[in-house]
Amino acid sequence: MSSIELDHVSKLYANGAYGVRDVDLSIGDGEFVIFLGPSGCGKSTTLRMIAGLEGITSGELRIGGRCVNNVAPRDRNIAVVFQSYALYPHMSVRDNMGFGLKMRGVARAVIDEKIRDAAGLLGLTPYLDRRPAALSGGQRQRVALGRAIVRDPVAFLLDEPLSNLDAQLRAEMRLELVKLHRRLGRTIVHVTHDQVEAMTMGDRICIMRDGRMIQVGKPLEVYADPVDTFVARFLATPPMNLVPARVEGRGDGLVVVGDGFTVEVPPMHRPAYAPLAGRAVIFGLRPEDLHEAPQPGFARIEVAVVAMESLGVENILVGQLGTGDGGGKDTAKPQEISARLSRHFTAPVGARVPLYLDPLPMHLFDPETTRAFPRPSLRLVTN
Amino acid sequence: MRRIGLHLGLLFACAVILVPLLWVIRTSLLPEHLSYSPELMPAVTLDNYVDLFTSTRYGQSYLNSLIVAFGSVVVALPFAAMTGYAFARFKTSGRAGRFAVLATQMLPPVAIVLPAFALLRTVGLTNSLTGLIIVYAAVNLPFLIWILMGFFEGIPVDLEWAAQTDGATAWGAFWRIVLPVSLPGIAAAGVLGFILTWNEFLFALVLSGPQTATVPVALASLQTSNGVQIAKVSAGVVLAVLPLVIASRFIQRFIVQGLTFGSVK
Repeated sequence: MSSIELDHVSKLYANGAYGVRDVDLSIGDGEFVIFLGPSGCGKSTTLRMIAGLEGITSGELRIGGRCVNNVAPRDRNIAVVFQSYALYPHMSVRDNMGFGLKMRGVARAVIDEKIRDAAGLLGLTPYLDRRPAALSGGQRQRVALGRAIVRDPVAFLLDEPLSNLDAQLRAEMRLELVKLHRRLGRTIVHVTHDQVEAMTMGDRICIMRDGRMIQVGKPLEVYADPVDTFVARFLATPPMNLVPARVEGRGDGLVVVGDGFTVEVPPMHRPAYAPLAGRAVIFGLRPEDLHEAPQPGFARIEVAVVAMESLGVENILVGQLGTGDGGGKDTAKPQEISARLSRHFTAPVGARVPLYLDPLPMHLFDPETTRAFPRPSLRLVTN
Repeated sequence: MRRIGLHLGLLFACAVILVPLLWVIRTSLLPEHLSYSPELMPAVTLDNYVDLFTSTRYGQSYLNSLIVAFGSVVVALPFAAMTGYAFARFKTSGRAGRFAVLATQMLPPVAIVLPAFALLRTVGLTNSLTGLIIVYAAVNLPFLIWILMGFFEGIPVDLEWAAQTDGATAWGAFWRIVLPVSLPGIAAAGVLGFILTWNEFLFALVLSGPQTATVPVALASLQTSNGVQIAKVSAGVVLAVLPLVIASRFIQRFIVQGLTFGSVK
């Protein structure tokens, strides 16, 4: 009923720049979808196009199977929660929440009841007669949500709703939103540039860049198999380590050689990576795949400690790979990599420490196109 | 030392602004034959005020001014609000259009007053308050449009988007959200329009008659062939300044309110 389909949708601005380019996406009924990307990537524009606040240059947008390209926002029955909350400052919380129903000519008694329900759900009952200016950020956020909920829309569009909250409140609201989704069972499109929100909240992540949707998939799939270096770096903090290297054949095997490290390609990746022998690549490995203790199959590398961040739960080591002379080429910069290590592991800055690298989750990217060279997904194997 | 210098400077600035005003108040309270007396306050009387209302049409003019100033604001504000909003929100004619609105203000008023007179005469509205209201509304419109345009630009478009997804039409979003939110700005613009009209002399002089003269014209008429009736003029000036003092208090309140309205974040 409330599926949302973007059929090759584009947004071209008057100055000839694309806001959104050929986005093709089908959002299922009741699905929680995340649009993730850096600022200016077109995610908010896409959201506004779904809401009807922004015109569509080409392509078709369907909500519940009906083409809504030329349907006014008020006739789409979609609720939007804005980053700024956009509460009506001259109205009480009650009137803010009831505005949408009032516009639709719903009876006062029904409006009151729905406001009461939503206020109870969101813990806003004591604040119903206050003005937005007299509320805290978190409360305003809830009012904005409440205003969306009372209308019982077919879909919720959330435009970075948590970005103005402090870290603790954000974590709470993240959980609340997920619970709310479970309870209401409505389609939710959530725009964010926060990787944690993206990883934890949605059924699917759609990563956008320069107006294009470059990867769509379940959070763990996207995390495990990024399509290019951008996705690889964007989805986590610290981001995936990306180091220039070469693939070389060595006997039966295949190795990846970079400045200060040599990693044997695990057998399961060999068929996929064999054609790359002799090529320059970008070697990618997530910081959590570097360990302080050896295990069978791990490759040993040595780094000079540049910084050590103790987060309590873990220690992040930033280390310099290799000799620092760029492997003989004076143009190359020394490569820095980060590793998530046990909280018990410490080392003084400047010390050379050995690290052990798990080669199984490795990725190889094309240095020219930045695209990942395809290899069998680990998730399919481990499951 | 620096502080003393600063305060002396401020005292001087206050004196420059206040002494003439205080002198006018003093003169208005002195009997006419003492108007030019070198003493500070030789006597106090309200005769000048009584005279002003009994022997001249000042009372009528005062009422005229109030009607014309209020009327012109009431007529101009809705147009200014809608035009300003359109310029602020929609792709109208761009900078050129905005500039063109202001261009009418660049003509010297003298260049407009005769055509205005000719127009009003054609429709029979010279020497009428209605005619004055229409002319002042038109003359002040560009200025009010620009003030309100700036104000509307400061209102986050999110608010209107929220209203539209909530089920309001574009007009509904303007009427129910933008207008109430921008009330301080509209009030400030209204007060400024009022002041402009209240002080205007040239149009009033040309377009009004004895029955419809406004305060500035009435004050000017006290400069008779027998010389300036300085005592009455002073009393008239004091009364003429009064609404402006009240108005500027209002403006202050509204502008401060506008700044602290706490709309979005």
